[in-house]
Amino acid sequence: MEIKIHQLLFTVMIIGVLAFSSCTKTSVDNAISNKPVVVGYLVPGQLISVKIYQQKVLTDTATYGAAIKGLALTLSDGSKTVSLTESAAGTYTYADNTFLVTGKTYTLQFTYLNTQVSAQTVMPEKPQNYTATKTTINLPTGTTSISDSVATTFRWSNPDSAYHVIAFKNDDTAPFQINSRGNPLVNFTVNVNKTIEYQMLYRSFNYIGIYRAILLSVDKEYIDLLNNQSGSSSQNLANIPTNVNNGLGIFTAMQADTIKLTLTQY
Amino acid sequence: MKKLSLPLLLFLTIACTQQLHAQAPQAQKILKKTMVEHFFSCPLDEMLDTLSMQYKLRFIFEREPIHTMDIVEHFFNESLLDVLKTVCQKNDLHYWVENDGTIYILQQPDDLERLKQLNKMNQTLSKVKPKTLDPPKGPPTHFMFSISGRVVDQNTGEALPGAIVSIRNTSLNTATNTNGNFTMLNVPADTCVLEVSFMGYQPDKFRLDDSKIKEQMVLPLFPSMNALNEVVITDKKHGVMNTDSKKVSVLQLTPAALDKLPNIGERDILRSFQLMPGVSGSNESSSGAYVRGGTPDQNLVTFDGFTVYQVDHLYGFYSAFNPNAVRDVEMYKGGYSAKYGGRLSAVTEIRGKDGNKNEFNIGGDISLLSLNLYAETPLNKNSSALVSFRRSYQGPLYDKIFGQFNKSTAIGGGGGGPGGGRGFMNQTTPSSYFYDLNAKYTYAPSDKNSFSWTYYSGTDHLDNSRDLNFPSFVASYTSDLKMNDYTKSGNVGTSGKWVSTWGKKLFSTTVLSYSQFNSDHNQGTTGTVTDSGTTTNVNNGVLEHNRLRDLSLKSDWEWQAGSKYKVLFGAYGSYLNIDYDYTQNDTISLISQHNTGEIGGSYAELEFDPTTNLHIQPGIRETYYSPTGKMYTEPRFNATYHLTDRFNLKVAGGRFYQFTNQVTREDILNGNRTFWTLADGKTMPVSSANHYIAGFNYETKDFLIDVEGYYKQLNGLTQYSIRQQGGGGGGGFNTVGTTTTITENYYVGNGWAKGIEVLLQKKVGVYTGWIAYTLAQSKSKFAAYGTDYFPSDQDVRNEFKSINMYHLQRWSFAATWIYSTGKPYTAPLGSYTINTVDGNKQTYLTISDKNGERLPAYHRLDLSATYDLLKISGNKVGSIGFSLFNAYNHTNIWYKQYSIQNNQVVISNVNYLGMTPNITLSLRWK
Repeated sequence: MEIKIHQLLFTVMIIGVLAFSSCTKTSVDNAISNKPVVVGYLVPGQLISVKIYQQKVLTDTATYGAAIKGLALTLSDGSKTVSLTESAAGTYTYADNTFLVTGKTYTLQFTYLNTQVSAQTVMPEKPQNYTATKTTINLPTGTTSISDSVATTFRWSNPDSAYHVIAFKNDDTAPFQINSRGNPLVNFTVNVNKTIEYQMLYRSFNYIGIYRAILLSVDKEYIDLLNNQSGSSSQNLANIPTNVNNGLGIFTAMQADTIKLTLTQY
Repeated sequence: MKKLSLPLLLFLTIACTQQLHAQAPQAQKILKKTMVEHFFSCPLDEMLDTLSMQYKLRFIFEREPIHTMDIVEHFFNESLLDVLKTVCQKNDLHYWVENDGTIYILQQPDDLERLKQLNKMNQTLSKVKPKTLDPPKGPPTHFMFSISGRVVDQNTGEALPGAIVSIRNTSLNTATNTNGNFTMLNVPADTCVLEVSFMGYQPDKFRLDDSKIKEQMVLPLFPSMNALNEVVITDKKHGVMNTDSKKVSVLQLTPAALDKLPNIGERDILRSFQLMPGVSGSNESSSGAYVRGGTPDQNLVTFDGFTVYQVDHLYGFYSAFNPNAVRDVEMYKGGYSAKYGGRLSAVTEIRGKDGNKNEFNIGGDISLLSLNLYAETPLNKNSSALVSFRRSYQGPLYDKIFGQFNKSTAIGGGGGGPGGGRGFMNQTTPSSYFYDLNAKYTYAPSDKNSFSWTYYSGTDHLDNSRDLNFPSFVASYTSDLKMNDYTKSGNVGTSGKWVSTWGKKLFSTTVLSYSQFNSDHNQGTTGTVTDSGTTTNVNNGVLEHNRLRDLSLKSDWEWQAGSKYKVLFGAYGSYLNIDYDYTQNDTISLISQHNTGEIGGSYAELEFDPTTNLHIQPGIRETYYSPTGKMYTEPRFNATYHLTDRFNLKVAGGRFYQFTNQVTREDILNGNRTFWTLADGKTMPVSSANHYIAGFNYETKDFLIDVEGYYKQLNGLTQYSIRQQGGGGGGGFNTVGTTTTITENYYVGNGWAKGIEVLLQKKVGVYTGWIAYTLAQSKSKFAAYGTDYFPSDQDVRNEFKSINMYHLQRWSFAATWIYSTGKPYTAPLGSYTINTVDGNKQTYLTISDKNGERLPAYHRLDLSATYDLLKISGNKVGSIGFSLFNAYNHTNIWYKQYSIQNNQVVISNVNYLGMTPNITLSLRWK
């Protein structure tokens, strides 16, 4: 019996070893560090400009990674392909912005480290009938009930349920902060999604001065980029979605309409 | 042991002629009733001789040392019990009444074993043999009949499930069911002797007779003296074969001996299972069980029949169950019976105490973190009640343990969330606490029927509120702001249980239960800000509300159809209602889920023993689930084969479905929140699992070797995450006061887990313990993370546990060492920064393969020493326990945190507990 049991134990151990030896360690995707970062916004009326740079190592204190120079970038609208020129280190431009037309699909392509990198985006419709109920806004100094009420309502038409965001940009050189909430961002973006109006509350404004409320019709890839965070702990780390094949970052088209807001507090 | 001649050492009184199982109460009665009017001036041994002659009691003691103790005492009409107490106290002795009525006089608790052995040898030498059992009253008159009965604790009247009942000199034996009942068919004759044994109790014998076999017998057992260092948890109840080995992958636990193991806060039922193979032991932040590569929500936890949805307290440092209210616990690690369902991995069934049926008792524990009190009492002849209450308080350990939770909230990812300047926060120590209440009422109008009502309520108040005060260099104003972060969560459950015996062969248990899980989270900022004489009221925040209600009816039946067949069958139905609301500023509803589901079904299972060596248990479970409108069929199977007396082979398998899921809402800044949802068959499918288990065990009197291998397929796993932007979040839409937007992600995937578990256990002796080793692997595949299988979050390759307990008189020492391969995690490889259209910079991380990296190995040593408090009568009335958690202060990493400071990615570790001492005092009146 003893022998039998030893044999059985041995057999079980062999089976166990075999069961686990079939597993190979999955290697860390080192290729990811070779992927270039692409940042390009195609906005009619603005210079076509695409920045390409490297990722940073974790300890790098620079804001951006090293520019990737000497690439041959092409931009195609489906029928015509143009080449971008390197106007500054890692910045590739094309001057003729009449190239950007609503509804066309633009494909960016280049080769980096023998790998074809590409990204595609569709130029959305220009925002239509963009209005604000109030453009001169005096911000309240006091009570909750007012600061929680609506300062102005932005409206636009959106028959195709396209994605929109509103970017708020303050043009003052030193914007004056009016409240006590630490250091909120001066410029910010609101995701208004596929709706046709957005109610801006008084307390959403933290600075006075001239603001441009830029309504942007955008593609989903831009929403995805803004909607995601890398996470801050090993329990929730996730890669950010990107529309750049074999690369990182964003290459997206958008169109804008602007309303100027004058914010005061007295 | 001293070498002394036995006849000199031992003195045996004349054997009593009382019926055996009545002898101990008889001896107790004599001790209480007999009044002593006597003057003693002699050595103690002579006094005992006199008493035994006079009152026909059997005293066993070592004569030599006892002879040196002199007694000069005049007793005026004092009970024999008091006399015994007085002389024992004066001479630092204990007495112990064994179930055969023998009274042992002990200098040390461990003397009992030796005296018993000497007594036995002496009996064989001496001509006067104590009569141990009634002779048959006459020749047998009944043949081949069936009997049924119940095994209970003599002192408290609690039923003893899992006790082994056998007929002497035959191969007939059985184990009592969860209500302590047993049935035995084909008993050869009514003169047979029943032998009953159960861990922690003195084995006993009962002679059958003509009248007993006709009724439901009650077989009481006496607790054994606490001196024996018994195994706390066993894969099998000790001793007799063939009953426990009928089960595969079962762990059993009686909380009574839990104080012998090291603990952090208190004796912990669920955490003790983490010391066994197959249950991960490296999750300090959860009492929940990670069984065989599964997650805690795949483990069904029931308490007296109702499902418990929140199994832990205070971030997982306490399990939700008060050990003082628990009678016994069984955990099925896989391949379990068709009786259970609704979960993919495991079942933990907890049964509460009925309350003492014989006398009032009160007791409690106090440790550096919590207070625990209980009282139990008989109410009348047929009923008893038990109430227990626990509450944590901010003792000396509080800051040490919970400090790390505050730390993790202080480090913000992304930086600059609403409220800005997180770094300027002036933190106050959060004050969190829990309490729980258990109550049970048991009414047994007859031997055939018993009713019980159980109530459980557990609530956690987690308060991470902080004051926000900005230093003067930041602002030219004053503020009185409070950041509230308050969570109240809990579980209320109640059940009514009816246990009925329908004749000798049919038992039923019917439970009507209600369980409600609540979690309310309120986070926001309130207060005032004064700037240049103007005061602004600030009040904003989010409210999160999750409530699950579960109303269930379940009826389980057991029919002993023949000597080889036992049929288990039953039906169950549940109504489930889950609300999940997520609201901002009281008005804007971000998520509002209101789901209802009905689950109904039935099961049947056959326990078939074609030969004495083979046990086969096929079963089937059929469930209807209303949200999908489908039937779910779950075949189950397990079998054991006794190759020899000591060697068993076992296999088990089955299919399992799960309809409710615990999901996580990711909250990067404030910690993840979990809540429950129902599968809807669309975004969240009903998940399923297949188990395949095979193993063997080899058991001798002293040792047990148990080896099991398993393979588990998991389908339709859901990871539901809610990501929040704005309002509370950071990120691209990083703006103050704008509407929070919510993204709901439903990730559906598959997985598998496989492993081998080895247990080597030393069951008896002064040194006991076990070594557990698990070689395992667990992988998942979610389309959202790629097309390949990646290691599951709970994937651990090697896990080794060594549990050592040493008994020395009134001291028990324990050392447990746990080693586990590090858990997998996802690491950042690099970072990149993108300018968004509004001109802000957003930094993102590029990351490794999902769970592509491993944390360093987890290991820790826990030590404890427990000193038993004994009464003169040898009964244990409490203990003082010292424990040292993580004795060599090893830094075990819980997870890593990444923050971006000055464009760099700064990595910091969030660690598990370092060395933590604790003291627990447990006392009970009787």
